[in-house]
Amino acid sequence: MPNGTEFFFAQQISVIKSMRSGIHQLGGFLFLLLASCIAEATSLDQEQTVFQQALQQLQQQVQQRQLWQHQEWLNLLHYDRDRSSPSGYTSAVDDARFFNAAGGATDPAAELLATLSALYRRDISGNAHAQCRFVARSHWLQKQLSIDAATLPEVACPDYSEWYSMVKAQQATLIFPTYHLNSPSSMFGHTLLRLDHSADAEASNWLSFAVNFGANTSAEDNSLFYAFKGLTGGYPGIFIVSPYFKKIQEYNRIEKRDIWEYPLNLTPAEVDRMVTHLWELKEVNFDYYFFDENCSYRLLELLEVARPGTELTDEFGVTAIPIDTVKAIERAGMIESRHFRPARITELAALIEMLSDREQTLMQQLAADPAIIESAAFTHLSDERRARIIDTAYRYQRYQQSGEARSDEQARNSHRLLTLLNSYSGTVQNPTVTVPSRPELGHHSRRVSMSLGERNNERFTEVALRMAFHSLEDNEEGFLRGAQINMANVQLRVADSGKFRLQQLDVIDIFSLTPRTRFFKPMSWKVYTGLERQITDGKDRLTAHVTAGWGASYSVAEDGLFYALATGRLEHNKGFSTRRLEPAAGIDSGFLWHFGKSTARLTLSGERFLNNHYRTRISYAQNFVVARNHSIKLTVGHNRNRDDRYSQFDLAYRYHF
Amino acid sequence: MKKLIAGSILLVSSSAALAVAPGGPDCGWGNMLFDGQSGLGPHFIASSTNGTSGNASFGMTSGTNGCSSDGTLTYGGSSLVSNMMDEFSEDVARGHGEALNAVAVSMGVEQADRALFAKVAHDNFNTIFPNENVTAQQVTASLNALMKADSRLAKYAV
Repeated sequence: MPNGTEFFFAQQISVIKSMRSGIHQLGGFLFLLLASCIAEATSLDQEQTVFQQALQQLQQQVQQRQLWQHQEWLNLLHYDRDRSSPSGYTSAVDDARFFNAAGGATDPAAELLATLSALYRRDISGNAHAQCRFVARSHWLQKQLSIDAATLPEVACPDYSEWYSMVKAQQATLIFPTYHLNSPSSMFGHTLLRLDHSADAEASNWLSFAVNFGANTSAEDNSLFYAFKGLTGGYPGIFIVSPYFKKIQEYNRIEKRDIWEYPLNLTPAEVDRMVTHLWELKEVNFDYYFFDENCSYRLLELLEVARPGTELTDEFGVTAIPIDTVKAIERAGMIESRHFRPARITELAALIEMLSDREQTLMQQLAADPAIIESAAFTHLSDERRARIIDTAYRYQRYQQSGEARSDEQARNSHRLLTLLNSYSGTVQNPTVTVPSRPELGHHSRRVSMSLGERNNERFTEVALRMAFHSLEDNEEGFLRGAQINMANVQLRVADSGKFRLQQLDVIDIFSLTPRTRFFKPMSWKVYTGLERQITDGKDRLTAHVTAGWGASYSVAEDGLFYALATGRLEHNKGFSTRRLEPAAGIDSGFLWHFGKSTARLTLSGERFLNNHYRTRISYAQNFVVARNHSIKLTVGHNRNRDDRYSQFDLAYRYHF
Repeated sequence: MKKLIAGSILLVSSSAALAVAPGGPDCGWGNMLFDGQSGLGPHFIASSTNGTSGNASFGMTSGTNGCSSDGTLTYGGSSLVSNMMDEFSEDVARGHGEALNAVAVSMGVEQADRALFAKVAHDNFNTIFPNENVTAQQVTASLNALMKADSRLAKYAV
C-alpha cells in the first residue's frame, strides 16, 4: 500500500514538473513576464496540492500504525513514561525549539504528525528547515514511511553539512575518567563519548571529538547558589562537543585523573545515527539531575538511539552511577576493548619510582636549578640515567607549577630543561605504568548487610542498606585504594529484647586517604554526616552530627597506610545537659592494611566537647572477600563515653548488588 | 531525598570561584598555565555539574592553557598549536608523542610522512622553540619554514 501511493505521487509530481518547465519555455516566447508568473503560481498551487495529498496519506498511515508508539520515536524525542501526562509520556527535553508541535513535549503523536508536516514545509529554507534541524528524525520517518525523497522539498543545510564533515565520525569510544574525590560531583567518576574517525584513529585520537553532557552553567550566580542549583536540578543540561585533547588536559592533567577508554563495536551506520541525532540536540536544554538523569544516563540514551532495540536505561530509574552505566554497556555487548590512559601524575610517580634515592635527589635539584647538569655528580652518570633524570625533572617541575603562572626565571629554567631533554632524548624511554584493575570489575554499588553481634552482653541483629558506593575495607578490586564514599547508608538494629530501632543513618561519609611522599604532599580528609546512636550518661540516644577531619597519611611498606586527622564535630544530643548542640574537637587515627583478598583496619579516635563530655574508642575490623560481591566482616571495639564503657563485637555478611 | 543529599554535600563543601586564567591572545610558551586547584571546595563549581560555562559549544573551543584562542578550532592553524603548545613542545623534545602526531595530522601530513615530520621537528627543536617567549604563531611559522625546506614535507607547507 505505501509503495503504491508513493509511486502514484511520484508520477504526478514528475508530470507537474515537466508541465512547469514547458510553461517556462512558452513564457519566454509568447507571454509577458506577468503571465508567466501567474502560470508559475498556478502550477505551484497544483504542486502544493499534490504534496498536501502526499502528506495526508502519510499522516493517515501514521495514524493507522500508531507510529508514535515506536520505541525508536520515543527514544529520539527522549520521552519518559509519565503517569501525570495524558499521553503517558513526557520528554526529558525542556526546550520548545526541540519540538514541532506546540504540546510536543507531552504528546508523541502530535509531535510526530507535526514533524512530518514540517518536513514538507516549503515556506522555510536552509538551516532553519526541519530537514536540517531534525536530521535523525527526518531519516527515521523517511525510512519508516518509505517516503519518496522526490516528494520532499529540496533543502540545503550548510551548517549541518559543515559540522558533519568536521566530526567525520565512524567509530565511538566510551570514556571513563576515574573517581575524583576532591570534587563532590566527580567522586563517582564520569562518562563521555568520543567520536573517532576510522583508519587513522591511532594517530588522531587527540583530534577526535568528545561528547559530554553536563549542566549548562552560564548564568552569573553567586557560587553557593550556583553549586546548590547544579546538584538539585536547577540548571538545564546540554550536550557539548569539544576536541578530545581538551578532555585529556582537563582530566589527565588538571584533575590528575586516570582515564579508561572503551572502544565500542558500533557500526559506522550506528555511529552515524547517533551523530545525526546529536545535531538535533545542539544547544537543546534537558532536565538535569545529578543522581539519576545525569551525564551517564544521557549517554545511555544516545547509545539506544545508535543501536535500536538496545535497552540500557531501564535499570537506572533511581541512580545512574557512571561505572554502573559502563557495566550496563558491557552487558549489552558493546565494549570491544579497553585502554588505560594514565594521568600525568601517575606517569611521573612511575618515573620517580624508577630512580634510586641518589638519583631522586639529583632530579629534585635539577628541577630547581638546571645548572646542576654541570656538576660532577651528574656527569658521572651514564647517558641513559641522565636522560631519565632530566625527563623526570622536567615533568616534576611542570607538576609543581601546575595551576600557577611561571615567573620569568621558572620559565627560563623550564625551557633549559626541555632543551636538555631534547639533546638526550635518543635514550629516553616511556615510563612503565602499572595498569590498575579495571573499574568495571569492581563490586556493585549498592550493598545490603546482615549482622549478628553483642554489646555489653546484649545480643543484637542488624540489617543495613547502603545505596552507594565503596568503603575503605570493601573489596578493593577496581576501586581507588584509600577512597571511601558512602551515601545513604541505613542501619536498623533489633535487640534481643525485641526492640527495633534506627541505629545509624549516614547521609554522606567520605574518607580520602592519599599517602604523602617525598615528592607529593596531598592532604587526607573526611566528611561524615547523619544520625547515629551514642550512649550519653547511661542512655542510648540517637544524635545528629556533622563531622569533618583534615590530616595526613603515609604508606607503610607496599600495602599499609597510616593516617592521623584532626577532627571537628557538631552534635545534637538530647543527653547534653545545658545545650543540646555542642561542638567538639578530636583526633582520628588509624592503620589500614590490604592483604590481597582481605583488608584490616585498626582505628583509635576520640573527641572532647565544649561541655567537657568526651569519648574515646578503639576498634579493629577485618573484611574477608568471599567473591566479587560477597564478603564477611568482623568488627570488635571498645568505647568509653565519659562514665560509660562498653565493648562491642559483630560479624556481618555483606552483599553488593 | 535527592535535594536532601545534594544539600548536605553543599553544606560540607566550601565554595570558591574559579580562578581566571591569565594570558593574552598570543602569549608565549613560558606563560602557559594549567589552571585547576586541588583540595575540597576549589574547582567545585565547574565540576559540580561536569558542566561548562559560556556559549554552548558544538565543536568550537577556546584555550584551557591560559593562552586564549579565538573561537573555532581551525586545524592546521596556529590555534591548534596554541591549544596544545605545552604538550607539543615536550613531544618535539622527545621526538614522539600524541600532541606531535595531532599537529602533524592537522597540518595534513599523511601517515607515511609523519615519522619524518616528527624527526624534522625533533632535530630542529632549537629552531622551533628558541627561547621561553616563543609564541604559537612563531612556532607554526618555523614548522612551515622547516617543511618547505624538506623535499618530502614541502607539499604540506602553507
